[in-house]
Amino acid sequence: MTDDMYWFAIDLLNGILSGAMLGGYYALISVGLALNFGVMKLVNLSHGDWLIVAAYLCVTMLTATGLAPFWAPLVVVPIMYCIGYGVQRGLLNHVSSHAAERRNLPPVYGLMLPLLVTFGLSIVLSQGMLIVFSADAATIRNQWSYSAIRLSPDLSISTLKFGFFIAAAVLLAGLATWLKRTHIGRAIRAASDDPEIAALMGMRTTHIYAVASGVALASASIAGFMIGMSRSFQPFDGAPFLLLAFGVVILGGLGSVFGSLIGGVVLGIVQVLAGTYFGPAAQQVAGYLLILLVLAVRPQGLLARK
Amino acid sequence: MSTWATESAMQTPVLQINSLSAFYGELRAIHDINLTLHRGDVLAIIGANGAGKSTLLRSLSGLMTHGSRSHLRGSIELFGERAETWRPEEIVNAGFALVPEGRRLFTRMTVEDNLLAGAYLPRCRPLIPQRLEEIYTLFPRLRERRQQVVSQMSGGEQQMVSIGRALMSSPSLIAFDELSLGLSPAMVDEIYQNLRRIITQGTTAIIIEQDLKRALSSCTRFCVMLEGSIVLEGKPGEVSEDDITAAYFGTMKENGDD
Repeated sequence: MTDDMYWFAIDLLNGILSGAMLGGYYALISVGLALNFGVMKLVNLSHGDWLIVAAYLCVTMLTATGLAPFWAPLVVVPIMYCIGYGVQRGLLNHVSSHAAERRNLPPVYGLMLPLLVTFGLSIVLSQGMLIVFSADAATIRNQWSYSAIRLSPDLSISTLKFGFFIAAAVLLAGLATWLKRTHIGRAIRAASDDPEIAALMGMRTTHIYAVASGVALASASIAGFMIGMSRSFQPFDGAPFLLLAFGVVILGGLGSVFGSLIGGVVLGIVQVLAGTYFGPAAQQVAGYLLILLVLAVRPQGLLARK
Repeated sequence: MSTWATESAMQTPVLQINSLSAFYGELRAIHDINLTLHRGDVLAIIGANGAGKSTLLRSLSGLMTHGSRSHLRGSIELFGERAETWRPEEIVNAGFALVPEGRRLFTRMTVEDNLLAGAYLPRCRPLIPQRLEEIYTLFPRLRERRQQVVSQMSGGEQQMVSIGRALMSSPSLIAFDELSLGLSPAMVDEIYQNLRRIITQGTTAIIIEQDLKRALSSCTRFCVMLEGSIVLEGKPGEVSEDDITAAYFGTMKENGDD
C-alpha cells in the first residue's frame, strides 16, 4: 500500500468514526423536536433555546454545589421534564392545531398559531437567559474535553464524543422501548395517530401530550448538558441548534426515534468528511446541501418506507 | 319470583336519554331523542345515511360535548349518573365502549398494541391477560397475527381488532357502529356470529346497522331513526317489516295511535 492510499484510508476512517460519534450527540439534540412533531404535529421553534436553558441550569447547579459534572443531568432532567409538562399543558395544548380546530378557527390558524407561539417562546427564553445569565460565554469545565481514545497510532476518537455516542444510543434505545412497551408510551403513539379515538380508549390527550413534551425536554436537557461539556455557549446559541435538529429530523424522517439516530450519524459523517477534504467552511455547507438533497429526493426521510 | 321481577324492573337503567338534541354549529343533527336501555337489552338503531345514528353514538361517547363546533342539549344518564357533560375518558371509564364507524384503528401499531391500547385505563390493566385470552379465543385469527401491523390486514380482520379493542375495557354497555360496512358477506356472517357470543354474556349493546334483516335478527329491541328523530320503536316480530321499511324511508302513514 502506498503512503497516499494509507493516508486517504486513515482520513476517511477518521472522518467516518468521528462523524458517527458526533451523530449520537446530534441525535439527542434532535430527538425532542422529532417527538414534538411526531406526536403533537408541533413544530417547536423554541427547541434550540430549551437546550441552552438546560445547559445553563447544569452550569448553575454545578457552580452552586461544586459536584462532579455528571451529577448535573440527575438534577436538571427532572426539572426540565416538569417544565416541558407544564408548558405543554398550560400553553401549547391551547394553541395546537387541534385546539384551533376545537375553537372553530380556520385551518391557517392551526398552522400558524403553534409556529408563532413557539417562536415567541424562543425570544422570551433567549432574552430571559440574557437577563439572568448575562451575555458571557459559559461552559461546563471537565477533564475530558481534550482527551482522545487512540485506536491505532493514526486513528483516534474524542473520549467525550465517544461517551456521548454510547449515552445517546442507550438513551434512544430506552426511549424507543418506553414508547413501545409501556402503557403511556402506547398511549403517546395512539394519540399521535388518532386523538379522537385515543380519547375513546380513556386516554386524556392533554395529559399524554404533556408527558411527551416533558420527555422531549428531558432528552433536550441531556443534550444541553453535552453541549455544555463540549463547547462554550451563550444565551442566543439556540437557533443554530434548532437548525441542526431540523436537519437531523428531516434526514431521519419526521417523528421517529431511531430515525433521529440515523439522521444524526449521517449528518455527522457528511459534515466531518466535508471538513476533512474541503476545509472547515465546507462542514456546514455540506450538511445543509445534504438536507436540501434529501428534501428534494426523499422528503419522507432516509428511513421511511413510503 | 315476583319480588325478584319487581326488583329487576326497578333496577337503574344502563342508559337513559331524555330529550337529547345534538348540534354541529347551528345544524341540529338529532332532536329530542328519548331512550331507555336496561341490562341485557340489545338495541338496534336502524336508519338511512344521515339519519343521525352515528351522531347519537358520538353524543353518548362524549365526542360531541367538548369543543365549540358541536354541543348537546338534554340529558344522558349512564349507569344512573348524569353523563352529558363527561369527557370521552370518563365515559369509557364508567363502562361504555364504542366500536367506531370505519374501525378507526391505530394503523401504525400491531394487533396486540391496538388491543392493549383499549386497556389503557388503570381499572382495565389487571384484567389484561384474561381479556386478551378471551379475545384471542373469540377471534383465533388475531392470535396468529398479533404482531402484525394492522394497516396490512383485511377489512374484516381490522373489524375484529376494533371489536376486541373495545372489549378490552370490559364494558357494561357496548355500541357497534356500522360493523358490516365495506366487508364481504361471509366476513359479516362471521363477525355477527361472534357478536352473538359477546352479547349473550349479559352485555347491554347498541347496534347500528343498515342491513335491516341482520339488525332485526340480532336485537331484542329496535328503533328507526329518520332525519334526526326516532320515528318507530318496537321489538322484532311485533312490527311488520313493511312498517319498518316505511319508517326507514320516511313514507310511514300517520296512524295517530302512537
